[in-house]
Amino acid sequence: MRLQHCLGLALAVAASAPLAAQAEDTIKIGFPIPLSGPTAVYGKPILAGAELAVQQINAAGGVLGKKLELLSRDSKANADEAVRLSRELIIKDSVDFLLGTLTSAEAPAVSTVAKENKIVFMVPAAKTTLLTDDAHIHPYIFRLASNTDVEGLAGAGEMAQFKDVKTVVTIAPDYAYGHDSINAFIAAIKKQRPDIQVVDSQWPKLGEPDFTPFINAMMSKKPDAIYCSLFAGDFVTFAKQAAPLGLFKAVSNRVVDGGEVGTPDAAQALGADYPLGIIVNAYDPVIWGGGNEPPEHKKFVEDLKAYTHAEYASGWSIQGYSMVEALVEGIKKAGDTKSDDVSKALIGLTFDTPVGKRTFSAKSHETFAPEYWGVATKTAEYPFAIIKDPQPLPTNFPTN
Amino acid sequence: MAASFLFSQFMGGLTTAMFLFLIASGLSLVFGIMRVINFAHGSFYMLGAYLAWQGVQWFHPTGAGFWAAALLAAAGVGILGAVVERLFFRSLYGREELYQLLFTYALVLILGDAAKYLWGTDQLSVSTPPVLAGSVVIFGSTQPIYNLFMMTIGPVIAVVGWLVLNRSGVGRMVRAAQMDREMLGALGANVGRIYTGMFVVSSCLAGLSGALVTPIQGIVPGMDVLIIVQAFIVVVIGGMGSIWGTFWGSVIYGEVLSFGILIFPGFSLFSVFALMAVILIVRPWGLFGRPL
Amino acid sequence: MTSESTTTTSAAAVPAGRVIGSGSSVISRIPWTLIVFLLACSVPWIGGRYNTFLAEQIAIDALFAVSLNLLLGTTGLVSFGHVAYFGVGAYVCGILMKTYELPFAIAFPAAGLGAGLFALVSGYFCVRLIKLYFAMLTLAFSQIIWAIAYKWNDVTGGDQGLPEIPFPSFDWMNHIPWLGDLKTSDQFYLLTVFLIAVSLAIIHRIVRSPFGRVLTTIRDNPERAAFIGVNVRMYQLAAFVVAGTFAGFAGALYGIFSRGVFADYVFWSKSAEVMIMAILGGMDYFWGPPIGAFALVWLNQEITDYTQYWPFFLGTILLVLLFGFPGGILGGIDTLWQRLRRTRRA
Repeated sequence: MRLQHCLGLALAVAASAPLAAQAEDTIKIGFPIPLSGPTAVYGKPILAGAELAVQQINAAGGVLGKKLELLSRDSKANADEAVRLSRELIIKDSVDFLLGTLTSAEAPAVSTVAKENKIVFMVPAAKTTLLTDDAHIHPYIFRLASNTDVEGLAGAGEMAQFKDVKTVVTIAPDYAYGHDSINAFIAAIKKQRPDIQVVDSQWPKLGEPDFTPFINAMMSKKPDAIYCSLFAGDFVTFAKQAAPLGLFKAVSNRVVDGGEVGTPDAAQALGADYPLGIIVNAYDPVIWGGGNEPPEHKKFVEDLKAYTHAEYASGWSIQGYSMVEALVEGIKKAGDTKSDDVSKALIGLTFDTPVGKRTFSAKSHETFAPEYWGVATKTAEYPFAIIKDPQPLPTNFPTN
Repeated sequence: MAASFLFSQFMGGLTTAMFLFLIASGLSLVFGIMRVINFAHGSFYMLGAYLAWQGVQWFHPTGAGFWAAALLAAAGVGILGAVVERLFFRSLYGREELYQLLFTYALVLILGDAAKYLWGTDQLSVSTPPVLAGSVVIFGSTQPIYNLFMMTIGPVIAVVGWLVLNRSGVGRMVRAAQMDREMLGALGANVGRIYTGMFVVSSCLAGLSGALVTPIQGIVPGMDVLIIVQAFIVVVIGGMGSIWGTFWGSVIYGEVLSFGILIFPGFSLFSVFALMAVILIVRPWGLFGRPL
Repeated sequence: MTSESTTTTSAAAVPAGRVIGSGSSVISRIPWTLIVFLLACSVPWIGGRYNTFLAEQIAIDALFAVSLNLLLGTTGLVSFGHVAYFGVGAYVCGILMKTYELPFAIAFPAAGLGAGLFALVSGYFCVRLIKLYFAMLTLAFSQIIWAIAYKWNDVTGGDQGLPEIPFPSFDWMNHIPWLGDLKTSDQFYLLTVFLIAVSLAIIHRIVRSPFGRVLTTIRDNPERAAFIGVNVRMYQLAAFVVAGTFAGFAGALYGIFSRGVFADYVFWSKSAEVMIMAILGGMDYFWGPPIGAFALVWLNQEITDYTQYWPFFLGTILLVLLFGFPGGILGGIDTLWQRLRRTRRA
C-alpha cells in the first residue's frame, strides 16, 4: 500500500503543475456540434459555414485587432456530451464565446452551462421554445434558428393548401423538438383549417434505425396527409423504409416536413431514393428557383463551394456563417470581447445574412427566422432533389 | 384494427426478427461452442455494412453490384475473424472469462474508430439491388420484396445451420468440442482449428448480415453498439448455443417491438430489457437452451 | 471446462488489499493516504480551475471504481451493470435537489439509500446465477434503468436530462476563514473530496474486516466457502448492496459536479469504462482502482488534445493490459519491486 501511495503522490504532483499561460491575442469560440452519427449531415456543414466566416473575417484583419479561433468538438448529438465538452471548452480552453449544438436536447442543456458561466451562447439550429421561454431565458442565450412556433405556422400553412385533406397523422422524434413542433402544428392548423383532424401521432426515438412499425401504424389510419418532423439521418432512413411500404403513394405525396430536408445535404444523402413531390423547407435552398436570388447569397454560395471544395453548396452552412457574423457585429458594437458587454450589444441587434437581415428580439433573443418552403422536385441540371420555387414562410409571424 | 394492419405489423416484426437472427446466430454459435460473449460481434456487423457500401462503390453504385459487395463483406469480415482468433483469442482461452470479455470490448473500441477513420462519420446508404426492389401486395398490405427476401433467408440459414451441426461429420466434431474440449483433443482432433473455423463462420454471418441490412438502414458510427445489446437479448431469450432458440428468440423480440409501439408506446424500449431480465431470472438458459 | 482458480492471474493467491513494498520500513512509515488527501484538498489553491475540474472527476471516478472492485476484485463477481447504481444515485439526488428543492443533506443519503435498495432487489436475483448469466442479468438491469431514464420524461427529463442541478448550500462553510473565500464550485470540490475520503475509508475497513475476508474466500473457492458453513449468496448480496450504495454516492456527487444528470450516464459503455479503470490500476489492490481512475482521466486528457481517436487508444491500452500486464499498474510495479528486492538481497 505504501508504494502505491508513492506513485499516487508523484502523479498528483505532476498533474498539479500549473498550465502554461494561454496566448491572449485570439478570440476563442467554442463550437460543440455533432460531427458523427445520423445528425452529422447537418452538423458538419454548419461548422464549415462558421469556418468560412472565420477565414473571411481573419483575412480582413480580424475583430478589434484580434483573430478569431474556432475550437470545434464532436457532441454526437448527446446532451451530456455537449455539456461536458462545453464545460471543458470553458474551463480548460478558456473560450470567450460558445456557438453551436444542433438538437433541442443539447441546446437547452448547454444553455444552462452558459448561464452559470456567464458566457454568450448562440444556437444555429435548435428550435424548441424551451430554450428561450420565460422560465429559461437569460442574458447570454441567443438563437439564430427559427423556433417551433414559426415552423408550425409555416407548416400548417402549407398543409392548409390541400383543400381535400381531412385527416392528418404526424410523426416526430420523441424529444423536445418533436413534441414542440407537433404541438405548434396542431395549434396552427386548428386555426387555419378547423375541419382538419390529427388522428394519430407516432414518436420514434431520435436515431431510430427501424421506422417500419411506425410507418405501418400510420398507414393503418388511412390518413389524407402526413406532417413529419423527422430530420437529418432519421429522415433519410425513414424515407428509404417508407417508400417500399407504399407510404408516400398512399397519401399521394401529401407530406409536409419542417426538418430542413429540402437542403441539398439531405437530398444528396437520399439520392435517387428521395420522395419527390413532398413539401419541404430549408434555411437556405441554395439552388434558387425564381431568378431573384439575392447577390449576397450568390457570392456566399461561390465562396462556400470554394472553401469546402464541394461541387454543391450545403443548405446548412448559412447558419454557421451567419452566427459568426452576428457575433462579430456584437463584439464590434460592444467594443470588447467580454460576454457581459457583448450580450448586451446583441440584444435587439440587427445583422446581415446572405438571405436577408435578422434581428435578435429584445425579449427572447430570437430571430423568428422564416425558412424557405416548397415542393421537392427533380430537374435535369442537378443529380438530387431541389426545392421548386422556394418561398420564405411564414410571412405573417408576430415578432416581439 | 384492420386485419391487414395487424398483418403488416406482423410482417414488419418478422423482417426485424430475421435480420436479428442472422446477426445473433453468429453470436450464439460462438457462445455455444467457445463459451465466449463476443462484444465485438456488433463491430463485425458494422464492418460488414461498411464493406458492402465500399463494394457497391467499387463494383456498381446503383446497386447491381450488391451481391458481389455482400460477398466481399462476408469474406472480409471472415478473414478479420480468423486473424483475431488466431493471433489474440487463442492466448486467452485458458484465462478467466473476464479477460476474454474485455478483449472483445477492446476490439469494439478499436474497430469502431477504424471504421470512422476509413469511412468517415457521415451516414452512408446503399440502394436496394434492382432485382429485389419494389413491393407486392399481400392480404391488403404492401410488402417490400426485399423484406420478403430477408424473411426467407432467415429460415434457410437456420435449417442449413441445424443440418450441418446435427447431420454432418464437421457438425459432430463441433458438438463434441462443445461438450468436452479436452477429451476431443486427446482423441486427436485439431480442436484449435475447429474453434477458428467456428469463429470464422460466426464472423462471416455477422459481416453478411451487416451487408444485407444496408438497403434498409443507414450505415453510421454507433450502429455496432446499438445492435450488440439487441443481439444479446435475442440470444438470452432463445438460449445461447441453440440455433432454433436464437431463431425463435428473434421472432419473439421482433414481434414484441413491432406490436409494442401500438400497445404500450413508451415502454417498448423498457419491455425488451425487462423480458431479458425475466428470462434470466426464471430460466437463464433461455427458452430452447440447455443448462450449462 | 473453463478456467477455475488455476488461472495465470494472481487473483487466487492474493488476499484482499495486498500491500506493496511492505518489506521497507521507511516507506511504510510515511502516511501516504494522508498526504494524498491533503494534496487533493489543496488543488483549488495550487492547481487552478482546470486542475480542480480534473481532480474532482478523478475523485468521483475513484469512488465509483473502488465500489465496483468490491465486487470484482474482492468478491470475484463480474458485474457489467454497475453503472445502474451510479445512475440511480445521480437521478435520486438530482431529482430531490432540483425538482423538490430538498437540501443536499437529505438528497445525498437518499441517493445512497435508493441505489442500495435497487442493488438489494436486483442483486437478489443476480447472485443466484452463475458467472456468465450473472454478468448478463446485471447488464439487463442496468439497461432497464437506462430505458426508464430515457423515456420517463416527466421525472427524469428523458433525452433532455436534468440540467441545472443546484449546488448544495454552503452557508456553513462560509463561516470558516479560508474556505469562505472560495468559489461555490471549489467549495463543492472540497466537500466532494471529504465525502469520498470518508467513503473510501469505510470501504477499506469493510475489505479488511472479517466480512471482507469471507468475501475473498468466496471469490477463491465458493464451494469450499459453502462447506465451511458460509451462506455464499447472503455474503454476495451484502457485497452487492454495499457496492451499489457507494456507487450511488458517487453518482450523486457526479450529477452535481457535471451540473446535470443525463440518461447516457447510465449506458452500458460506462460500466465497461469503470471496469477498465479498476483493472488498469490493478484489481487485486485496494488502491488500484483509484490509481486506474487517475491514469485513465489523465490519459484521456492528454490523448484527446492530439486526436479524436481516443476509443482506439483506450482499446489498445486495454489490449496491452490484458496481454502484458494483467495485474494492472500496481501489479506491474509490485512485480518490479519484488524483483528488485530479490536482486538486492542476493
